[in-house]
Amino acid sequence: MNLPISVILRIIVVLVLAFPTLARASETKAEGEQSGGFNVTELLLHHVLDSHDWHIVDIPTGGGKYFTVSVSLPWLLYDSEKGLKFFFLHGHTPEELNASAAEHGYQIDGHGHIASLTGANVVDLSPTKTVLHILMVALVMLLLFTRIASAYKARPNQAPKGAQSFFEPLIVFIRDEIAKPNLHGKHAAFVPYLLTLFFFIWFANIFGIMPLNSNIAGNISVTAALAVLTFVLIQFNGTKDYWGHIFWFPGLPVPLKLLMTVVEIVGLLTKPVALAIRLFANISAGHFMVLALISLIFLLGKQGQSVGGALGILPLSLAFSLFILTLEVLVAIVQAYIFTLLTAVFIGQAMESHDHAEAGH
Amino acid sequence: MLLESGMDKMGAGIGAGVAVIGAGLGIGKLAASAVESMARQPEATNDVRGAMILTAAFVEGVALFAEVVCLLIALG
Repeated sequence: MNLPISVILRIIVVLVLAFPTLARASETKAEGEQSGGFNVTELLLHHVLDSHDWHIVDIPTGGGKYFTVSVSLPWLLYDSEKGLKFFFLHGHTPEELNASAAEHGYQIDGHGHIASLTGANVVDLSPTKTVLHILMVALVMLLLFTRIASAYKARPNQAPKGAQSFFEPLIVFIRDEIAKPNLHGKHAAFVPYLLTLFFFIWFANIFGIMPLNSNIAGNISVTAALAVLTFVLIQFNGTKDYWGHIFWFPGLPVPLKLLMTVVEIVGLLTKPVALAIRLFANISAGHFMVLALISLIFLLGKQGQSVGGALGILPLSLAFSLFILTLEVLVAIVQAYIFTLLTAVFIGQAMESHDHAEAGH
Repeated sequence: MLLESGMDKMGAGIGAGVAVIGAGLGIGKLAASAVESMARQPEATNDVRGAMILTAAFVEGVALFAEVVCLLIALG
């Protein structure tokens, strides 16, 4: 069991370490410069949305020019004519990227959507910035939790040590306060999934608050994928009574039974959608707030023309963004808790036996 | 054209505000009742807190639906 894990770890380490070597730097003009003013919406979206490169820093080199440091990520496409294609593109501005893509027979618009020049259907499977960051969080979790697990194996029934003693209360909390009360005695099978869910969302949120990183849970695709996992778990653990309540609600006249079926099916889909949107909106809102507060400095500073304006708002802006960031650290763990709790509650509701459910009517 | 886009933004802004009023009222009422029941029955504090967080998450979820719609209007 130890061998495959160490082999997988080595492969991941090599993959992650390989990315920075692909870092390219080129002299480009920042996008805000070209339009003249400071565009808050553009800045917000650039920081919050997913992209095909990990933008690290723009170093001003004078004359409105910037030296861009970023990690270019590979493109992986499925082309209906050429099959799977894997390549790197050069440059940072949409024009440079488009010129580089043309060499491979593709064109890219300003939003990073790729299309074939020959008219073939293209499916974009590229590992983007969010994918890279999810892999990094996964790597941290793998290293940390395999160490904690092996510590339990090596020293059974003894007081925890090091990282073990930090995580043990959280693990016990998930098991005793989330899994046990909601899952009706079948919690043992779900505790590993709930723990993974909780720690992944928490780590991803904390990772997103740190500088240079993207907000993983602020990407609706990521939260939707997590919600789909919850949805599948709910349906696979649904009892006969659960399905009975959805398609043929007991104790109602037939016209109402048909109406209830529609209502129940809507309710079925609302649960995962609400889960996905709650996590996405909470994390995105924090990032938007911090970025908007920082943008105030540049808005009032009018790009260096009004130093007084920038200095005037600076203390206020920094104090508020520090407050929001502190709140975000709290939100990071609260949202992880709520997602895990609701997953456990929904699975528990689907597993409920009829006698138990009848008492609540 | 300019007027139309202005109306979009205004609607999104008003919508975001109204959604917050709703969520604020909901969570405020919820917290008031929770604190009251904790004071009446201190031994039930943990159960009440658990139920409160769960319900607060639902209230917040509905408000966030509205906020996301407003965000889509404002940016779209």
